[in-house]
Amino acid sequence: MIIEAHGLRKTFTARRGRGRTEEVEAVRGIDLSVGEGEIFAVLGPNGAGKTTTVRMLATFTAPTAGTARVAGHDVVKEAAKVRERIGYVSQAGGVDDNAPGRESLLLSARLSGLSRSQAHARADELLETFSLTEIADRPVRSLSGGQKRRFALAIGLANRPPLVFLDEPTTGLDPQNRANLWDEVRSLRDQGTSVLLTTHYLDEADALCDRLIIVDHGLIVAEGTPDRLKQEVAGDVVTLRLDDLAAAGELLNAQPYIKETRPEDDCLRAYLDDGEHNLPALLRALEAGGMAIRSISLDRATLDDVFLRHTGRSLRDAA
Amino acid sequence: MFRHTMLFLGYELGNVRRNPVWPLFGILQPVLYLLLFAPLLTGMVPGGTLVDALRIFTPGAMMMIALFGSLFTGFSMINETRNGVLERLAVSQAWRPAIILGRVMKDMLVLVLQALLVMGVAVLMGLRLPLPALGLMLLLMAATGLFAASLSYGLALAIRDENGMSQLVQFFALPLTLLAGMMLPVSLGPEWLQTAARFNPLYYSVEAGRSLFAGDLSDSTVPVAFGVFLVLGALSLAWSVRSLRKLAG
Repeated sequence: MIIEAHGLRKTFTARRGRGRTEEVEAVRGIDLSVGEGEIFAVLGPNGAGKTTTVRMLATFTAPTAGTARVAGHDVVKEAAKVRERIGYVSQAGGVDDNAPGRESLLLSARLSGLSRSQAHARADELLETFSLTEIADRPVRSLSGGQKRRFALAIGLANRPPLVFLDEPTTGLDPQNRANLWDEVRSLRDQGTSVLLTTHYLDEADALCDRLIIVDHGLIVAEGTPDRLKQEVAGDVVTLRLDDLAAAGELLNAQPYIKETRPEDDCLRAYLDDGEHNLPALLRALEAGGMAIRSISLDRATLDDVFLRHTGRSLRDAA
Repeated sequence: MFRHTMLFLGYELGNVRRNPVWPLFGILQPVLYLLLFAPLLTGMVPGGTLVDALRIFTPGAMMMIALFGSLFTGFSMINETRNGVLERLAVSQAWRPAIILGRVMKDMLVLVLQALLVMGVAVLMGLRLPLPALGLMLLLMAATGLFAASLSYGLALAIRDENGMSQLVQFFALPLTLLAGMMLPVSLGPEWLQTAARFNPLYYSVEAGRSLFAGDLSDSTVPVAFGVFLVLGALSLAWSVRSLRKLAG
């Protein structure tokens, strides 16, 4: 296990003016373990405690309670040893806007202990990997969001860490750049680097990670592989629009093939396995009950359905 | 530790080298003072020539760069508390004091170079100085810069807001200038003004600078100024490194 955390908690004391303070429990007890070579995602809405969790694991913030071992060392007592073995790319990126990206890259490589010539070789290698060679000597402020993000990633990898933390790596990127970054994260895993990333994008967690935790209000609400989590809910989901949601829910819950129903806004979501075959029966049941359907759709269950099941709200609304 | 400080210093100097315009702007103010204000003093100083006026006025003008340059250097760091640069460096292998120390040394070097240029202007205007006095003056500038820059980074990390920092530094800049006797020696003023000046660190550097420019290298103001700035510099450096540690909350 490259990360093992037990009971991580973080309480901030926030000033509320006139000398009054308020305790804010950002993280309220998180256990997680990440295996070597794994892409592990922390999925949750904004304010769920994802960034605080990553900052504790990366030795930036000291936990209020709990312990964590990262790359074989305790994050509090042996922070220096942990720092040698991790790369950390914050949400803000952390690339100096005023200098050319190559300079930031060289500085990071040299700080990790490389000699001048080794640092140049490492920088050239990373610039090549992330297709940054041509823009390496331009001030970073003149680059696009996607290019900056690639520089941030390259700088995080300068010390060849076996583990990289990526905090919201694709926030603010366009779909093309997001897809490229996903490929880059996958190729990190292919080279044996472990990755812990946070995201509030369901599709990102679904497409990218081997395992994930879903967090809400500083606590883990679900943990597992994307497939297993979705199976727990059901294979498919039927979304119905009709007038009497409560009556329809009651009627559908009585059907043997329906696992669960859940009202959401003005729709009813009915979870079931093997949706293609059960849909005609569902339609017949509603018709027999005299329910007029305004619209109906059948989809695969997503991680949002997992989130909805555990928290009672949709991740899209939870932000 | 030393290696990391040098790496940060090298990185920062690289940024200065790519953008050398700003430090040059920094010396515009003292140079204008030398050209346009010092001649006004000729009638008021003992001796009554421009060179006599320069001898008294140049040290104060040089300290202006320390005040209006180095004390504002922390602004760059406020941005770095937000754009993730400090966050990244804090979890890198970098020795933390080196992050501040490398920047402070860059500011000290820039300040010494600016001081050389200002002195060059004074020399062109006719001022002549012995080399030891010149060397000591540059060292004094470096010591002043150590204090002013560390204080500025400490303020930046404590306030973390451009508006607040700008208000605070502006608020203190004028009284510090006047109470240091940068324009005219404080000794011309009443007793209470002289007492108040003793609480202003810059007063000691201006006084020591005047002693050096008067060729009085062994004057007690010189070791006092070095002592004041080394102690204050160390304290403000320690404070800013501590503020850096508290960044994480």
